[in-house]
Amino acid sequence: MNRFLPVILLVAACGKAEHHAPPAPPAPPAPATPAPAALEHATQADLAQEIGDAERLGTWREVQHRWQGQTLRWTVTRQRVLCGSADDCNVAAFPVQRPAKQGWLPLLTFAAGQYDALARACSSQDPCEVSIEGTLSALEVSPELPTKVQLSNVRLVSAPAGRAQTAQR
Amino acid sequence: MNKLSKSLAIAGITLGAGALTASASSHREAPAIAEDQYVDNTDVYAFISPNDATKLVIVADYVPLLLPTSGPNFYKFSDNARYEVHIDNTGDAVPDVGYRWTFTSHRKIGTTFLYNVGPVDSIDSPNLNVTQTYKLEKVNEKTGATQMIMNNVPVAPWNVGKRSFPDYEKVALQAVSTANGTTAFAGPRDEPFFVDLHVFDLLGVGGSHTTDGVNVMSLVLEVPIGEIASAGVRPAAGATTKDAVVGIYASASRPRVRLLRNNRSQDDYGGFVQVSRLGWPLINEVIIPLQDKDKYNRTSPRDDVSNFGAYILDPEVPKLLNLVLNAGCPATSAAGRTDIVGLLGPSGTKAADLLRINISQGQTNAMSHFPNGRALTDDVTDTLLTVACNNGGAISDKVDANDKPFTQTFPFLASPHSGNP
Repeated sequence: MNRFLPVILLVAACGKAEHHAPPAPPAPPAPATPAPAALEHATQADLAQEIGDAERLGTWREVQHRWQGQTLRWTVTRQRVLCGSADDCNVAAFPVQRPAKQGWLPLLTFAAGQYDALARACSSQDPCEVSIEGTLSALEVSPELPTKVQLSNVRLVSAPAGRAQTAQR
Repeated sequence: MNKLSKSLAIAGITLGAGALTASASSHREAPAIAEDQYVDNTDVYAFISPNDATKLVIVADYVPLLLPTSGPNFYKFSDNARYEVHIDNTGDAVPDVGYRWTFTSHRKIGTTFLYNVGPVDSIDSPNLNVTQTYKLEKVNEKTGATQMIMNNVPVAPWNVGKRSFPDYEKVALQAVSTANGTTAFAGPRDEPFFVDLHVFDLLGVGGSHTTDGVNVMSLVLEVPIGEIASAGVRPAAGATTKDAVVGIYASASRPRVRLLRNNRSQDDYGGFVQVSRLGWPLINEVIIPLQDKDKYNRTSPRDDVSNFGAYILDPEVPKLLNLVLNAGCPATSAAGRTDIVGLLGPSGTKAADLLRINISQGQTNAMSHFPNGRALTDDVTDTLLTVACNNGGAISDKVDANDKPFTQTFPFLASPHSGNP
């Protein structure tokens, strides 16, 4: 009991002091959460690294805050069976033969006409490596649900060798 | 042509890619569900009825690997759960039609420890002390509206032993109920899945019939195909549209909150949360790695490619087969296993862990073999190991049939093993 007494007294004192303290000046407006730095050069490997770190460190919110809403330019692999229409398109973010450490495949929604541009550029090449640019519109990361990555307003930046094409802007 | 190719050809299913795939079922497959056995979904089967080709049979099994001698509190379905079968009939991997079972347990006599207090010769015998009933609802999964199909239907009792049930199957079949064109059965059956579970001892398969002699809790439905088809119309023979193929998965859900008290029974609160799901056999068991198994059970098939696609493109199984069995499975190509993705999305449907079956007119029971549905006799373990390895040969666990023969009449599954044969 004796060893808790100082703590009790201290708490009581603090409470009392707080009770009689003069009114605090109005608090300055809370600073807005700083906008995350642009990640225009960040790759999917960087994102995967941060998700892996979040598994250990619990930094899920920080990862989502940093990445969601960013405009990203990634090189990905389009396979027709996974991306056969503008309404149903996932791409592989990593070389398939590298053992998958995470299960996600980015879900793409395209800017007008850009799926057709992708399909034309890849033509019969399957799989087909392309560079795309889009907004990371949804990033679901948590310890309890699988990671989900959605890129929106996706534009084709460059197509396979010999089929180079710049996105229409 | 192997048996998988044959069944694909017969079914008229078009693949998004060339090759084939295989896997197994889902008994105790994820850490969380292994702690909640009564809602562990083990297998789903779907086939055109052998007795009426206008009807589809769906079997959803739960509660794995049950010893027949499991008294005095024999296995049952959980009263605090929703057991559901979901059906996508438009090819988008989003369910359109569902069936939902809700169970209620009963006890006639509280002053005995016995499940039954004398020989039981009928399902309404006063000697049958512990019983369970259920209601079966059809769910419009777009609106959430429900339609009662049947209510207060008895669950078949446990096969306690020969002294309690001189003619067990006669009593059990009294649990078959038909209403509104739908026939249903709920209760214990012989575990229909056959496999050498030594596969989990570093793929140590060698023909051990490890699921012989155990039971499972089965939900069986036989429904008019028009009831589950898009717009209520069975597609014409030879149809190649997405709605010619339905995708089926089963799930179990628990209330969000359980409150335990010192002085009374538990209370459950909140909406239902999905804790288990299954379409194809063995997807969560051997494709999804440990870190994502519980996550898989929480999610919906429509997101499977987005969530878990990388595991499907480069599955672990062939690498293990090479490492342990020197099976000669070729390395995954740069394109990845798009053949497996294609099997999960036949006829232009969205790839997902759904058991797909062609329901168009002209389809018959003989055409219902995995991956066009799944017959009780299908050796899906061999099929999936063979597809996963893809070395041009057959990979087998050397367990090729169930320990008991299946029946040709509803509910088609074999009678459960007796606790005292």
